[in-house]
Amino acid sequence: MLEVRDLYASVGGKEILKGLSLSVKPGEVHAIMGPNGSGKSTLTNVLAGRDGYEVTAGEILFEGKPLADMEIEERAQAGIFLAFQYPVEIPGVSNMEFLKASLEALYTAQGKEPLDAISLLRRAREACQLVDLDQQFLKRGVNEDFSGGEKKRNEIMQMMLLEPKLALLDETDSGLDIDALQVIAKGVNTLRNAERSIVMVTHYQRLLDYIVPDFVHVLADGKIVKSGGKELALELEEKGYGWLTEEGAAV
Amino acid sequence: MTPAEQLKDSTLALANSAQQDDGLSVLRQRARKQLQLLPFPDRKHEDWKYTSLHPLTAGQLNQSASALQSTPSFPVLGDCVIVIGNGFLPSQLPTLPAGLSVTPLSAGGVSDAAPDTLFGWLNNASLNDGLLLKTERNKKVAGIVHVVFFNHSTTPCHAANQLQVEMAEGSELTLIEHYVGSGPILTNALTRINSGANSSLVHYRLQSETADTLHIGNLQIDQQRDSRIDSSQLMRGNVLRRNDVHVRLLGSGANLFMRGIFIARDNSHIDNHINVEHVAAHCPSDQVYKGIAGEKGRAVFNGRIHIHPYAKESNAALSNNNMLLSNEAEIDSKPELEIYNDDVKCAHGTTIGQMDIEQLFYLRSRGIDEATAKRMLGTGFVNETLNAMPDDVVRDWAIDWLGEAL
Repeated sequence: MLEVRDLYASVGGKEILKGLSLSVKPGEVHAIMGPNGSGKSTLTNVLAGRDGYEVTAGEILFEGKPLADMEIEERAQAGIFLAFQYPVEIPGVSNMEFLKASLEALYTAQGKEPLDAISLLRRAREACQLVDLDQQFLKRGVNEDFSGGEKKRNEIMQMMLLEPKLALLDETDSGLDIDALQVIAKGVNTLRNAERSIVMVTHYQRLLDYIVPDFVHVLADGKIVKSGGKELALELEEKGYGWLTEEGAAV
Repeated sequence: MTPAEQLKDSTLALANSAQQDDGLSVLRQRARKQLQLLPFPDRKHEDWKYTSLHPLTAGQLNQSASALQSTPSFPVLGDCVIVIGNGFLPSQLPTLPAGLSVTPLSAGGVSDAAPDTLFGWLNNASLNDGLLLKTERNKKVAGIVHVVFFNHSTTPCHAANQLQVEMAEGSELTLIEHYVGSGPILTNALTRINSGANSSLVHYRLQSETADTLHIGNLQIDQQRDSRIDSSQLMRGNVLRRNDVHVRLLGSGANLFMRGIFIARDNSHIDNHINVEHVAAHCPSDQVYKGIAGEKGRAVFNGRIHIHPYAKESNAALSNNNMLLSNEAEIDSKPELEIYNDDVKCAHGTTIGQMDIEQLFYLRSRGIDEATAKRMLGTGFVNETLNAMPDDVVRDWAIDWLGEAL
């Protein structure tokens, strides 16, 4: 599904990722953890194609095709979805209008028949229900005056609707209380299946109590310094990151 | 002679050519005298710094528009429609809803208040005829009144359009003044509204002429105590578009809301000069204007709020947010506050920027191509303001019509 090979990337001339490698197979859930400034968000932004994030060496393959050749929207059309750490507000563009444009673009690119208005509305309502978001949110401007938790749920709602092959969750759990986290986890777990891959970037081990990963990686100073199963998260909870970053530096 | 002097000569000649003997003779004569005294504006005048009247040298001031044979096509947005072609009233006025009367200005009742500008005087001097709408005291006029000014010519000429609205005490009205038409014609529009005590007016000023037209408009509003006005001014650019909007809050508790959208694409030009005077105490005024300029489009916004010495507890707000779609587009925005009372709340803000790259990235990251995403952000920027308009029929039309320009 996703192959990141010896990736170097910089932001504003500053090198953030320094030789990161990661392999994600269909159906796998990976958690990437790490201290502040280790490059977690840079990785998701590079994958989504955000301007200003420059790949200086290495390569990223999505289903065998180099991501570097694909525009932002083409990545989404190919099945990559980024749940934003800080979703932006777009007043004047209604959530429904936005979902419609997005689904149309994806379906057209994938050669599928676009949904009619009624089916679209029904599916959007179902997705809202799954993440405990009132249907009124569909009429409001995208994220406009949403609370932090509502914005995160809106991201997961979009993910439910767009059914990506690869979902990238960028600190989706940050700033959420446990109730909201459970709602989001329920949404994500509903989407888990043998074909879909999920990469969660998080600062907190707590998320992994609700979405149990197949693999946990520790990112420090721009590369993965330790990988393991879900038990690694517990070890991190106990010991912190210090022992790993030193170990990483020693390698 | 300088171009301004030449245009001044044309203005006087145009004024002198309207010599009919009717109920407007005195009005025209007074205006002709006044025109002699006024200088023709050029870019040395602060108010005209960013707008050149040079396009008028094509000859718009040399000839008055003649009566139209063709019937206009326009979207019907009201329940009662009155069409005025090139400044000529229809031979028969439609049946009006209860609580409203309409009279030709030539049949009496024309206001003798002085216009603000040279073009306002020229409007009076060259006026063929105009409309006076009057509401009845304590009556709510049902439905929407749609006054259409259709101005069309294949050669350069000048059409004076005039509308006066007298809102009687305690009355309510929803009014659209709608400018449509095409060709190198200059629409000189003068609208005066006098809002009587405790009256309520929902007002739309729609300027949807084609891009080859010219339009210079004056909107003068006087608000008496406790009167309420919700005014929406929507326009797309043309060869030359200039609006001078002057509101005086004359009685305490008068309440003003104005929103405006201006979109200047290609080589078009739009200039809005707004002046809101808080003369009386306890008046709230709120203004939201949004501008978009693309290609070599040019827009100007000047918003002045003037709080007079006795206007204590005024609450005035003005925002002007602008979006540039290209490197060659230009928007000049200047808010002005003049405050002569300490006990007031006043806020103004202006922004000029390109499209928000975070918003653009967000839309694209959901698979929406760049061009569509940009169009969505442009319409979103505009629709946020349009959505607050009180009448669905106008809002739906405006969303489509302004959306076409994005």
